[in-house]
Amino acid sequence: MDNSMEILGLYPTWYQPALGSGWVLGIIAVVHVLASHTSVGAALVSTWLATVAVRRNRPELLEYVRRYGVFLLVFSYVLGSITGPGIWFSATVASPRGLSALIHSYVWWWATEWVFFFIEVIGIYLLVYLAGKVDGRSYLKIAWIFGLASWATMLIIVGILSFMMWPGQERWFTEGGTLNGFFGLYTFAQILSRTCFMLMAAALAGGLIAAYLRDGAFRLEMTRKLAWVGILGAVLGAVFFQWGLTTLPESAQLLMKTRLPGSFVPAMWAILAAIVVYFAALLVRPGALNVPLAAGMMVGLLIFGIWPEERARESMRKPYVAGQFVYSNQIIARDVPALGVKSELPALEARGMLALHPFIPQHLRRIGEGNELEAGHALAIVYCSNCHGLGTTGTRPFGEMFAGNRDAADIERFIKGALVTGNMVNMPRIPLRDDEAHALAQFIASLPLWHSITR
Amino acid sequence: MDIDTLYALRSSSGLPSHPAVFLVLLVLTWALHMIAVHVMLGSTALALTGAFSSNANWRRLAGPMLDTAKVAVSLAIVIGVAPLLFVQVIYDPFWYVSNVLSARWAIAFIVILLTAYWAMYHHYFVGKEGGSATSRWSLAVSLALLLVAGFIMHALTSQALRPELWMAWYAPEGHLETAGSGIHEFNLGRYLFFIVLAAPVTGAWLLGCRRYLDRREPRDAPYLDWIAALGNRLMTAGGFAALICYAGWMAALPESAAGFPVSFWSIAANASILLLIVIPALFRSASGGYGPFVTAAGVILVLATVREALRHRILFGTHGYELSTYAVNLDWYSNALFCLTFAGVGGFAIAYSVAIAWEAGKTPGIYTASPRVNRLGGFALAALIVWVAQYFFFGFLVITR
Ligand code: HEM
Repeated sequence: MDNSMEILGLYPTWYQPALGSGWVLGIIAVVHVLASHTSVGAALVSTWLATVAVRRNRPELLEYVRRYGVFLLVFSYVLGSITGPGIWFSATVASPRGLSALIHSYVWWWATEWVFFFIEVIGIYLLVYLAGKVDGRSYLKIAWIFGLASWATMLIIVGILSFMMWPGQERWFTEGGTLNGFFGLYTFAQILSRTCFMLMAAALAGGLIAAYLRDGAFRLEMTRKLAWVGILGAVLGAVFFQWGLTTLPESAQLLMKTRLPGSFVPAMWAILAAIVVYFAALLVRPGALNVPLAAGMMVGLLIFGIWPEERARESMRKPYVAGQFVYSNQIIARDVPALGVKSELPALEARGMLALHPFIPQHLRRIGEGNELEAGHALAIVYCSNCHGLGTTGTRPFGEMFAGNRDAADIERFIKGALVTGNMVNMPRIPLRDDEAHALAQFIASLPLWHSITR
Repeated sequence: MDIDTLYALRSSSGLPSHPAVFLVLLVLTWALHMIAVHVMLGSTALALTGAFSSNANWRRLAGPMLDTAKVAVSLAIVIGVAPLLFVQVIYDPFWYVSNVLSARWAIAFIVILLTAYWAMYHHYFVGKEGGSATSRWSLAVSLALLLVAGFIMHALTSQALRPELWMAWYAPEGHLETAGSGIHEFNLGRYLFFIVLAAPVTGAWLLGCRRYLDRREPRDAPYLDWIAALGNRLMTAGGFAALICYAGWMAALPESAAGFPVSFWSIAANASILLLIVIPALFRSASGGYGPFVTAAGVILVLATVREALRHRILFGTHGYELSTYAVNLDWYSNALFCLTFAGVGGFAIAYSVAIAWEAGKTPGIYTASPRVNRLGGFALAALIVWVAQYFFFGFLVITR
């Protein structure tokens, strides 16, 4: 037992009652994935088109690449480059220690990604502004540097995200080394599936540009080419995604099965089918493509495709947010000997959250007659509010979870039986002391009262 | 917050290199961020002035300034990512608390920036060349929102310097306040100082433009001279304004920074601002030149260092927070990865990009790359390919071990 910890490094909590801070982060992340997958995919498609344009001397293709570039610049780069740091900002306020754990191990990888990102942003400007203004060979070089740098950003972030879910090698815990955390089979599966999905996203976005083209024959040719890219991307992407799931530890697969709604898998297949049908229809009747259709398909399919994928990843890593050692509620729950990281659960069990959390007001450090509800509220904020709404709104709100149960003793029994012991799959162990469990139960039982007082 | 708590808030994962490395990079990349921010704010303001002006020179300047602003926004954002990374790495206790306490603002920052950027593009696409009567208002909105974004950054930085007040902000009268809706601390002088510096930096930028355009449009002497005169005016007047704001900043420093206004660092700050004021005279830059901008960039670097010295004065001097005691778990691979990528891949690719953009911009018609520029591009491409190869090499090594 580790009693040496006088105070734990826990941060204040931001509680967002309407959506939950996790959803705020999720929404920004989905927008970012939409924008960044489109731009990396589009970078690859542009590189390919520019190559064809220069080799076969087809200025109309070059013009297409330029227009595509302008669209990318205004849509995906603006959106992607702002929501990218936006994910950091929202993770900072939703899950500071989770982000901190990733940043502190992977800062140099992220800094490396930044170098590529920089090259990429300059590259997109060159691609747009130098189209038709430099010789063909140089334009090709620019396109290839841009395409590769763009892909390299993905290679890096994929490894960090894989680590976030599950350190690539079990030995990372004992040996450390960012490489051990970064690379696992899952990392490679993700590289493949994401590359394919990016191509699919690029095909969807490329359709939007093709719809603007005037020259009928060329427009048909482009539409067909993109349709093939889209179909291949979608089908192969799905295959690699499935393979990726099998590379995960069994417990992660089990978690996913228990956590995700039954409609999840059929919905995924339906989305995939819709995408393939859309592209197949374009192959048969490329003339049918128009701007509203292309735009609608792009936004709709990507959002419906990305959201479940992100949800799946989120649910598989529960109850952890980072590296299988930081809980969703920010508590460090596992030793990482390689880094000198110590689980905080023993200290919490022995001395209690109210005593050890630095941001607990002095008068709540000891539970007594007058402060039970407020102490219970503080505990709910710290231990639960990352994943639960404390009223009737937000994610998995207490109002639903306890179905209006007002029997404090009953709730306390549940807390002690299931939560303190860590018997709930997906949920962190909540090592409450007896008086804390009592206060939390009181708080949950009197939620309506609490909300009427504090409103 | 006492010092034990501040240390406890550090990430227990430690750092992959010595903290001093990150500190240097923080200051360097933040200076670059600010230079981009200054050019962005200045060029947006000039484009806006042009959009509302009837003077022919002003209207004409509006176009290139809008082009500059568009690129500068993206550079400001992209470069901003680097100090955002490093500040989290070494100042995590301060940065994270400050952000959580103003969480809604941290989130709003994203939406505000996005709106500002798109508003600028709206003006660009709807009304090029000085803008249409309505679209110029969206440029005004853009500038205003950029200033709000900067203010949020400023507030987050300021709050991070007041650990003694955190608890009062988070639990006023002992009751938790978890909405994250407040801005708790700011220093108007400091904020205005970092904003006003846009004038001298953009002035220096104009002097550079004057020189660059000289080659391409030699016949346009009156317009070019006008640009140079404007640049000189911005440098001198802007420098004076910055001096005043600096005084305001120093006058409103908290108790925890006592003595800083008369420290060596503060004198260095004043001297470097004075340098900005006298640059026009120093370079006798009626015909423009690149010297002023290089000097201005140097001044920003000095000011970035002074700003860091102030943070040190407060966090170390008053709270006893020692950066150098951050635990280190050295990670050789990622240290080497960054250094080599930065120097090898980044160096070649950026050099190539700048070279070809520079030459193509100066050449009327189609530019055919010189052998030297071509070689640079070849190196950049080769470096990228080597990079991808080493990635997979180490990847396979790790999973097959
Ligand atoms: C485009 C609009 C922006 C403006 C006008 C702006 C302006 C500023 C200003 C004035 C400061 C100095 C605050 C102070 O020291 O008082 C600052 C600091 C900073 N900015 Fe920006 N900024 C912008 C965008 C960004 C973006 C997008 C990022 C990140 C991706 C960023 C990252 C930072 C960081 C990390 C700091 C330093 C924080 C510290 O050292 O504590 N900025 N910015």
